[in-house]
Amino acid sequence: MSATFDPLMVTIAQAGAPAPMAGATLAHYLFVSAVMFALGLIGFLTRRNLIIMFLCTELMFQAAGIALIAFSRFHLNHTGETFVIFVLTVAAAEAAMALALVVLLFRRRESLDAEQWDEMSG
Amino acid sequence: MTRVSRDGQGNAALESFLSPLVLYLACALGAAGVFLALPRRAKGVQPIGGLIAAVAGGLAVLGLTAANIADRPNIYFYIFAVVALGGALRVITHQRPVYAALFFILTIIATAGLFLLLSAEFMAFALIIVYAGAILITYLFVIMLATQAPTEDAMEGLADYDIEAREPLAATVVGFVLLAVLSTMVFRGLGQVTPRGDATSGDEIVAMMPGRVETVLRREGVLQSGERVALDGETGRPLIDVKARTITLASGTDATRLVPWPPSLTARNVEGVGLALIGRHPGTIEIAGVILLMAMLGAVVLSRKQVQLDEAEKSRQARTLAQSMTANGAAGPGAIRGGGVA
Repeated sequence: MSATFDPLMVTIAQAGAPAPMAGATLAHYLFVSAVMFALGLIGFLTRRNLIIMFLCTELMFQAAGIALIAFSRFHLNHTGETFVIFVLTVAAAEAAMALALVVLLFRRRESLDAEQWDEMSG
Repeated sequence: MTRVSRDGQGNAALESFLSPLVLYLACALGAAGVFLALPRRAKGVQPIGGLIAAVAGGLAVLGLTAANIADRPNIYFYIFAVVALGGALRVITHQRPVYAALFFILTIIATAGLFLLLSAEFMAFALIIVYAGAILITYLFVIMLATQAPTEDAMEGLADYDIEAREPLAATVVGFVLLAVLSTMVFRGLGQVTPRGDATSGDEIVAMMPGRVETVLRREGVLQSGERVALDGETGRPLIDVKARTITLASGTDATRLVPWPPSLTARNVEGVGLALIGRHPGTIEIAGVILLMAMLGAVVLSRKQVQLDEAEKSRQARTLAQSMTANGAAGPGAIRGGGVA
């Protein structure tokens, strides 16, 4: 790793127009995104606390955001970044609604356990 | 089989066979690690699971790095990726919801670091402000509002539903099968994806901003006092030729001169995002506004305090209303309202 360690490469915020990104580097970012999505999915399926379940959906939103921005950088096109703005908007709206619902449900049963509400599954 | 690597040398066939194999091995090991790290009653198993997951992550990095020697991301990528994924693992495995939310903030900050590496500075800071600053604080408020009072028999004040995971084995298998499929797609399909656009596409954006061009030229010492970027007489657009890379400067009435494009004149990330947002997707901004408005209304309606009236209270109110209506039938609605309140 130290053989290709170039001080120019470590400039965190590249000033000006970025050079086109190589496909292999895109693979690294997409892999991180995939792992984060899988972790969010596992968390959503296994945790019983309603608040943690919604945190896991936010984790999956993050994973989608990393993939979008990596592709936006790969194609040197800013549309991917504008999509992430809308992902943030939807995440904020979802957090407001979901947390209001969670507070409402907690007032009814004094518990955040998702299995308390399993009669809703029919 | 399409390989991502661009270096033609080396044992290509063996490498292309080996790197997915290493990746699947890492996936299986990671699944075992995450399964052990999920919340459970038994003590001491969770750290072992975390260790196994970390080893799997290292193996995956090794597989990814071996697959493409030539194009490796810089070392900061590895640091931010490890912090982000470690934080994400802790979000889903920590038994205390407050700590899970704090680890999620850590994940957000590391993700913002990854965005910086992808030269998406605007999104990096927007992420920290919106997520770590606003959304996660709301989560923390709700966690603190909606927490059961600790009872004597509960383990260390933890709620029963936080101690143990639900269906950990099935969920881990599903999650890591999905991960294996996704990473196979990344490895086999990515060679066919070719980057579009070139590094100079940002110059088109700069050509619309004569004020910024003048600032850069003044800093370079090219722009003399009294000079400014010449504007087209008919369209009012600045006379900047992106293809020929020249800028026309005007001083006084008719005197113009041509200067070359300075190398430091490039579009910033914020300028690109702003133009893409307003220029190409104006309708989606409106939709985002409607979504936020609806979410706000929904949250207000949902969290409104509901007044619970028991049956006796309801019948008493109904009786007073009926009495006032029969007694003052001709007196008009004012009397009804008075009776209802009383």
